This record gives sequence, structure tokens and C-alpha cells, in this order.
Amino acid sequence: MIRKRLVAALLAVGCAAGTAGAADTIKVGAAQPLTGRFAFAGVQINQGLADALAWINEKGGVKGRKIEYIFEDSGYQVDKAVAVFKKIMAEHKPVMFYGESTGLGKAIAPELNKTYKVLYGSTSFSSELADPKRYPYTFVSGPTYSDMIGVLLEYVAQNPRGGKPTVAFFYSDTEFGKDPIPYARKKAKELGVDVVAEIVTKVGAVDVTSEVLELVKKKPQYVIVHGFVLSPIPQVIRGVRDYGLDTRFMGTFWSMSQMIIDKLGEDAEGYMGINPYAYYYETDVPMIQNMRAFNAKHHPDVKHRPNSYIQGWFTGLVFAKCAEVCLENGWSITGDNLVKALESIRDWDVGGLMPPVTFVDHKIPVGRVYRADVQKKRFVPVSDWIRLD
Amino acid sequence: MRIGDFKETYAADEAILRTPTVRFWTGVFFAALAVFPFVAGDYLIYLADLVGITVISAMGLNLLTGFTGQISLGHAAFMGVGAYTAAALASRWGAPIWVTLPAAGGAAALFGVVVGAPSLRIKGLYLAMATLAAQVIAEFAFINLEGITGGIRGINVPAPRLFGVELATDRALYGPIVAVAALGVWFAANLKRSAPGRAFVAVRDRDISAELMGISLFQTKLRAFALGSFYAGVAGALWAYFMRIVTPEHFPLSLSIHYLAVVIVGGLGTVVGSVFGAVFMTLVPEVLRGLASLARPYYPQAMTVLSPLTEVVFGALIVGFLLFEPHGLAEVWQRTKRFFRLWPFVH
Repeated sequence: MIRKRLVAALLAVGCAAGTAGAADTIKVGAAQPLTGRFAFAGVQINQGLADALAWINEKGGVKGRKIEYIFEDSGYQVDKAVAVFKKIMAEHKPVMFYGESTGLGKAIAPELNKTYKVLYGSTSFSSELADPKRYPYTFVSGPTYSDMIGVLLEYVAQNPRGGKPTVAFFYSDTEFGKDPIPYARKKAKELGVDVVAEIVTKVGAVDVTSEVLELVKKKPQYVIVHGFVLSPIPQVIRGVRDYGLDTRFMGTFWSMSQMIIDKLGEDAEGYMGINPYAYYYETDVPMIQNMRAFNAKHHPDVKHRPNSYIQGWFTGLVFAKCAEVCLENGWSITGDNLVKALESIRDWDVGGLMPPVTFVDHKIPVGRVYRADVQKKRFVPVSDWIRLD
Repeated sequence: MRIGDFKETYAADEAILRTPTVRFWTGVFFAALAVFPFVAGDYLIYLADLVGITVISAMGLNLLTGFTGQISLGHAAFMGVGAYTAAALASRWGAPIWVTLPAAGGAAALFGVVVGAPSLRIKGLYLAMATLAAQVIAEFAFINLEGITGGIRGINVPAPRLFGVELATDRALYGPIVAVAALGVWFAANLKRSAPGRAFVAVRDRDISAELMGISLFQTKLRAFALGSFYAGVAGALWAYFMRIVTPEHFPLSLSIHYLAVVIVGGLGTVVGSVFGAVFMTLVPEVLRGLASLARPYYPQAMTVLSPLTEVVFGALIVGFLLFEPHGLAEVWQRTKRFFRLWPFVH
């Protein structure tokens, strides 16, 4: 009884929503983690993606065609996210899709490759997904976690702090944390960087005394921290500082947002890491100026946008660019052609948000090392763009 | 008002579906289930599969927690053991689905028995802690036994084959999932009125009295653990085939708690409660999200505002249920049935 009523309600909802939208728009669907434990970034990513597409529409769209953005909340749960994917695919038939997690990318891969065939971008920088053989429709909007650590190791190799460069890897026991580690070991060996310690910890661990002692004992010049967003990074940095150890902590994308500077305060001095995009306060970058102008117009009370917003914005640019390449070449806009378009992009100018973009294996292995400046409360670049090729 | 409903044989008195009306509506329900995959879209099929898997797993937890009174916070771990067993067997040795499903159930049952062993000595919150430990140990094992589980990247599961047909889509899996769910519910309904099932209830209501009546507490509790985790293991195996990938992130503690919520909302200690709970907890968030998406044509950013709100509404609904329907949806169902049975003389 109840079941039937629910199904009826669902059908009604589905029918009502299905009729919306004009015929010649280019549709982009998204399952966004607007709630759940990834919401802190998901809300910003979603806004960034929505804003980028709206900005392109304001400029006249892609060759005159508007982009329609359809998103729903997926709560950072894989079963819900797959449901959102299927719902949006059934109701709107978008040609491009943005997914909430690595897990979603892996779960829908069999059907994406066989049935749905849409260009698929996501919040994930997992190196597993940047594999055109197994995931032909998936791309990563930047460097993978492996590439990020590769860039950091290049920097470490070029900037030893007395003697042979040494590094410790400090990562979480999650998929996110472990993803780049095998590559990182190999890369460190190639570059002649000694890995003196590898420490694995739980996300959000509170007591990190033993980890801190391990670092104090091994005295690495750099510690590459990966697989956490915030906790326990502040505790570890403070702990190591208390022992008077002068080691440099380096983070990857998710631990390179403003949040970490705010949280660490004085202790943020010297904290470094990789970011693949320009920051919102780099006002000399043309694309950041566009972004700021758009925000001033539509979200006048917003003062800052974190790097997750910029990831969303950049992915929006990629979607639009792929559609544009299709239209330029007279290809119909289908998943297969969009992938072909993505692979054909060479040295695409993205207004300084990144250096000219060329996708290698559906990812962009480039990034820049930034350092926290406590006085200015922001990250300042300390290297040029480093490209791994 | 239904009259003239006489039982003339013992068989009639013992039937699960006792009256013509119930038999008729059950028939209609199964007919609807049979027609469903031919008329529904991909999204609804996906949800139906998800509900089916949840029904199986919730039925298991209800046997353990609802019938036998052994609270378990390790249900996700049992599902995980089943999922990994099926995934490993299928991906390495290409084991067919009719082998992997029982094997997954068996492995989970074995794990359940080990976890349940302390239940003779400890009950209530203490048992909850012991099963919580099992959950943590299992999660750790899923991540670190890389030789079997593939570590954090998990195992990609090949599409199962049944009678030479590849079950690669949700639509193809719908049949097996519904069949297994129906079998599981039918078995539980029968168990409930047999001696072992009544032993479960006796242990739950007063374990000392149960023992005085000659029920072996240890055996009964272990049987409940084995059975509950067998269901979970089978559900886990179906989950593996359904998602086509198994990773440790699929079976967190929050899933165990979710299942407790499913059986509480549905109705502890009732068979239909597991079904209602599974339907409610799976579909209501989707319906709420669907309602929220109705606002999209008028206000494109609606979902940003409404999505967190749907979570709040869902939470409030659960609290409301606990307050006003402590016996769960099964009780609402009984009342509805009674209303029709007595109509028009309800007072």
C-alpha cells in the first residue's frame, strides 16, 4: 500500500521534472555532495561549476547554445549518488556529468562505458580514474594525487635543506590517502629523495603523539601530508614544532584551502603544498578577474572562494570547451565525441587559472608549490608551474 | 466487515496467508512486482533493487535484534564479509552466482557466530560494544588484507551469469534480487511460528525463563547470530553484483546504524516491518529529493537550499515515528488492515 503510493509519487515527480528544459541546450548533470561529510567542499564545488556555466551563458553560451546545469544532492554516499546519476540520466539525458566522489566514478564505470557513454568529470583526483583504458569517459580536472606528490617531490629534490633531500610520507588509511603512495615511493627513488618515514593514521585522529615522536626521531626535511582535509594536520604540525624540529610540512589539494591557515594561525608559517589552480586572491590572473566580477555581480556578499570552488569552475570550463570543440568540428555532441574533443585539446589558454592546458591520459599533470604567508593570511607561490611529463 | 471466515482444517489454520482477501492482495502485489521491470525506468529499477537488498539485510537484523533481542552494531561488517566473499570468489575463480550467494551467506554466518559468542555472557549495551568491535575489526581487515580484499581499491566484480544469461544491468538483477528477498521473507515468516523462532522470542522476552523452559541460550543466540549474518552476507553478495565493485568504504559503521534505524522504523520483531522499514528508509529520501527538484524550473539554485532541508525533514520523520508509532510501520499496517476488516463498524 505504502510502497505503491510511494512509487506513484515518484513517478509523478519524475514526469513533472522531465518536461522542463529547452531542446537545444547542452545539458550537464551533476551529483553533488551538498550534504554529508564532504559538504564543506561540495557546496563550493557545485557553486563554482554552476557559476562557470552561468558565466559562459552570459557571454552568449557555447557557439550560441546555452548550457543547462542540472544538479542534485548525493550526500557523499555511493548508493545515493548512483541513484542521482540514474535519475538525472533518465529525466534529462545530459551529455556530460559531474560526480561527487571516486567511489561513484568506480561504481558507475561499467554502465558508463557500456550504456550511458557521457563525458564524466568529478571531484576526484584519484590516479585510478585517470586511466583511459578502463575509464574511457572519465577525466580528472587537474593533476591526480600521484601527480601532486610528484610535483612536491620535484620541488623537494630541487630545494634540499642541507645535505641529501629527505622526506616523510604522512597519509591516512583511506583510499584517498593511499592512492598515490606506490607512485610516490617510485618517484622519490628516481629523484634521489630519501623516504625516511612512512606514517599511516586515521582521518581525524586526536592523539598523534607517537606519530610526532616518529617524525622527531627521523628528522625529515619535508613531510608530505596527504589524505586528510584538516585534522590531524594541525595537531601534528604543532606537536613537531613543540619539539623544536624545523621540518617543512607540505599538503595536497584538499589541505591547501584557506581553512588550514585560519586553523593553524601562527603555526601555519612555512606550511607548503601544491595547488593546481590560481587562488582567488591572485587578482592579476585574468580568469580570476572574470570570476571575481561574476561573484561581485551575483553573490555580492561573498568575499572569498576556496580552491574547491575553483576546481568546480575549471571543470565547467572543460565541459564548455569540449562542447565547443565538437561544434567547431561539426561533430554531434555525444559522449564519444566529447571524449575525442577532450583528447584533442592542445595548449588551451584558460586565462592563467592553469598554464596552457593539454590533457595527458585524461588528466593535467601540472601544479605549483605555494607557501602560507601568515601575515597576509594567504598562500603565495614559491615555484613556477611544474609540469610532469 | 469480513464474515464467514471459518477454518475447517489444521492446514487452513496454519496458513501464512489466511483469508481470501489477503491471498488476493498478495497475488496482486506479486503480479505488480513481476510487471514492474517491464514498465519502470532505469532509476526506479535501481531503487527497487536497492530496496530489495535492504529488505534482505534488514530481515536478518530483525531476526537477530527484533526477534532475539541481541543488539548488533556489526551488521555492515556482516554484509561486508558476504560482499567480499562473493567478490573474491567471482573475480578470481569465476564462481557462478548460485555458488557465491550461499558461500557469502556461509562466510558471514561463520563470522557472525564468532562475533556472537560473547553474547552468552553479555547483553544489551555491552553486547552492542562487542559487536561494534567486530565492525571495527572487519573494517580494518577489509583495508589491510590486501591479498583477499584488494585493499582500499577494492575488487571489481564481473557481471554474474545465470542460465547462460549475463546479468549486467540493474534490470537483469531485479529478478534474482526480488526472488532472494521473497525467499528470505518467506523463510522468516515460517521461522517465526516454528519452535526455533519462538525460542528466539522467548530468549528476548526473558532469558532466564527461556532457559528454565529448556531452551539452550547459547545455541539459540548463536543460531540467531548465524541466521542474521547469513541474511546480511547474502545481501552483501547481491550488493557486490549490484555495484560491480566492493571497497571498504561501502560498509562503514554508519551503515550498521542505518540498518538499526530500518528495523526500528519498520517494526522490531515483525516480518513485514523489515520490508516496510527498507522501503521507507530507502525511498523517502528519494521522494523528498524529488519534491525538492520540482522547484528547479522556478528557482535553479533550489537544490542548494533544499538538499540540507530534506535531511532535516527525514530526521524529523524518524523522530516522529519513534514518538507516535513506537512499534513502527508494521503497527500502522496492522491498524490499516484492521480498519478494512471491520469496516464499516469501526469504533
